[in-house]
Amino acid sequence: MHPFNYQRATSPAQAVAAVAPAPSAAFVAGGTSQLDLMKEEVLRPSLLVDVAALPLKTIGALAGGLQLGAGVSNTAAAMHPEVLTRYPVVSEALLAGASTQIRNMASLGGNPLQRTRCPYFRDPAQACNKREPGTGCAALKGINKVHAIFGASAACVATHPSDLAVALAVLDAQVQVVGPAGSRTIAFPDLHRLPGDTPQQDTTLAHGELITSIDLPAFTGRSHYLKVRERASYAFALVSCAVALDMDGKKIKRARVALGGVAHKPWRVPAAEAMLAGKKPSEKLFRAAAEVAFADAKPLEHNAYKIPMGRNLLLRALLETSGLQPLQGPAGTAFAASVGGMGGE
Amino acid sequence: MPDESRPPFQVGAHVPNCLLPNGSYLHDLRGQPVILAFAPDEWNPAQAHQSSIFAHLLHAFDGIAVSDDTMAAWYSLDCQGPVAAQFNITDQRTLLLLDEQGILRWQTAIGPGQEPRAGQILAALEALRPIAPVAAREVPITSGGLSRRTFLAATLATAALLLLAGAAEAAATVTPPKHPASMPATPAVATIPITLTINGETHRLEVEPRVALLDALRENLHLTGTKKGCDHGQCGACTVHLDGQSALSCLTLAVMSEGRQITTIEGLAKGATLHPMQAAFVKHDAFQCGYCTPGQIMAATALVQDKQHRSAAEIREAMSGNLCRCAAYPNIIAAIQETQTA
Repeated sequence: MHPFNYQRATSPAQAVAAVAPAPSAAFVAGGTSQLDLMKEEVLRPSLLVDVAALPLKTIGALAGGLQLGAGVSNTAAAMHPEVLTRYPVVSEALLAGASTQIRNMASLGGNPLQRTRCPYFRDPAQACNKREPGTGCAALKGINKVHAIFGASAACVATHPSDLAVALAVLDAQVQVVGPAGSRTIAFPDLHRLPGDTPQQDTTLAHGELITSIDLPAFTGRSHYLKVRERASYAFALVSCAVALDMDGKKIKRARVALGGVAHKPWRVPAAEAMLAGKKPSEKLFRAAAEVAFADAKPLEHNAYKIPMGRNLLLRALLETSGLQPLQGPAGTAFAASVGGMGGE
Repeated sequence: MPDESRPPFQVGAHVPNCLLPNGSYLHDLRGQPVILAFAPDEWNPAQAHQSSIFAHLLHAFDGIAVSDDTMAAWYSLDCQGPVAAQFNITDQRTLLLLDEQGILRWQTAIGPGQEPRAGQILAALEALRPIAPVAAREVPITSGGLSRRTFLAATLATAALLLLAGAAEAAATVTPPKHPASMPATPAVATIPITLTINGETHRLEVEPRVALLDALRENLHLTGTKKGCDHGQCGACTVHLDGQSALSCLTLAVMSEGRQITTIEGLAKGATLHPMQAAFVKHDAFQCGYCTPGQIMAATALVQDKQHRSAAEIREAMSGNLCRCAAYPNIIAAIQETQTA
């Protein structure tokens, strides 16, 4: 690991003041993804400002919704009774990700900021515009099995790895940040960006901006997360799907659907969402919506499997969220969120 | 500092007799090549992987040296110790090669901050060439006349040189590798004094910020029960408890662990009485090689402390961050199941 200096932040404002003037400085909270990338020398910060001990570790009520402090651990958020009962999509996404140890360590603010799992990004010997702008994209003509089918560019075909981000994308969540230019609120779907010709930029955060909380508005509908991975546990999604349905009697009032593992950011599918609004849940409707959701997918050489896999996953997620088909495990658990059997049962 | 009035021994000189750490005398080793490697016994934990490779190699070579089919005697020595003082090379990372007659044939020292030079390695091979085979049973393996024994000695010496170079690098300011101009320059990094609370005891140490808790535990504090497996958060072998929750010590910086209650596998047993989870692992034979076991037990003890009764599937899911290459999984599950019902 490259040497770096270390400071423990005393307040969010002080942390921002320490990071903002140094282009190679970074915040550290759980560090689970960051230290791994630093060991690979993919990341080489000159200064780490430790925000883990800041008082950002509470979950509280907020205008009918919930305010999740950025320093809350993934475990604490997933197991919080209000999150479990009102926003099971969040608990399911968190518990279907990483391992117990990593969930204990990882923060809510850090989780959506984790970097891509593209193997070419993680290997400093390979060309990667995200790691070193201008060097090219080794994945484009390489083994691109885990790469994007939506929103990619000639410069980058990486996907975003966070499960939590996909869940937050269907909840109208808002991200509170403090930065060198003051504080601001970002609508969650605007936090991440598409690669375009600047894939080195994962998010719309400016350098030195620190997430202080993730705010969930009131939600009384049904929500659910479903994930396919290469093994039963402790793996990143090949394709995942978050669904939030506001119901009006037996009809869907409003549907929000986001796909994970398919793009540089959580991929909302407005055309499918529009198709579902005002309709009564049925397998036929969901099948049609799933078809529409993947209509403009653009597969690479090795990832066309994501299209039928994603269609089937979305169909199943809609059936399970609407109650037409039972969940595979208790709501809010990894068992509900996992496709393909859990724990060898 | 070396004694200025007494220069180091010159190549070609007979070296003094001295008492080696294993109780034998240097002159008693005549009749075979002898390699003496002097290195600091304190290692920078940031380079801990190098120090442990070095230690293992030296140990392996020490093993060769006492075997019947001895190729060369090999001794790793403290460069601040008495033998280093006799050779007047105190504090210098040095390799000495003595031939069968006890004559110094080659020496090299790597100064703080210096990189190894290819020339030094070639010189090592060259210097070994004149050593005559001494044992009648030895047959020259090449027309160049290198005996098997000499060839091996040369190989060991050059391997050691590279390792010593690593030691020198670890102990001194590292010359930053060349990176593209866009990369930030290496900052001047100071070590930080920290206080860690481990198994209820307070430990004061001074580390670079980049030192992982795992390396601080193993290399600075010699709490080697916590294992280094993948070092990337994928295997769980390094699992400890931070404030009662399982965590990966390989992805935790030591400097970030101040003020937290750290529990390692060494902290579970009460004297000679095993923790119930340890006892259950023994009873159920929940391991084969045992390398992942401390991490498995730390993850398992953290899991069952909420007193919930979990199904086998739930235990598997919760323990999925702990890999067992021997696949003792059914036994691990059985041990945890017994403990949670106890």
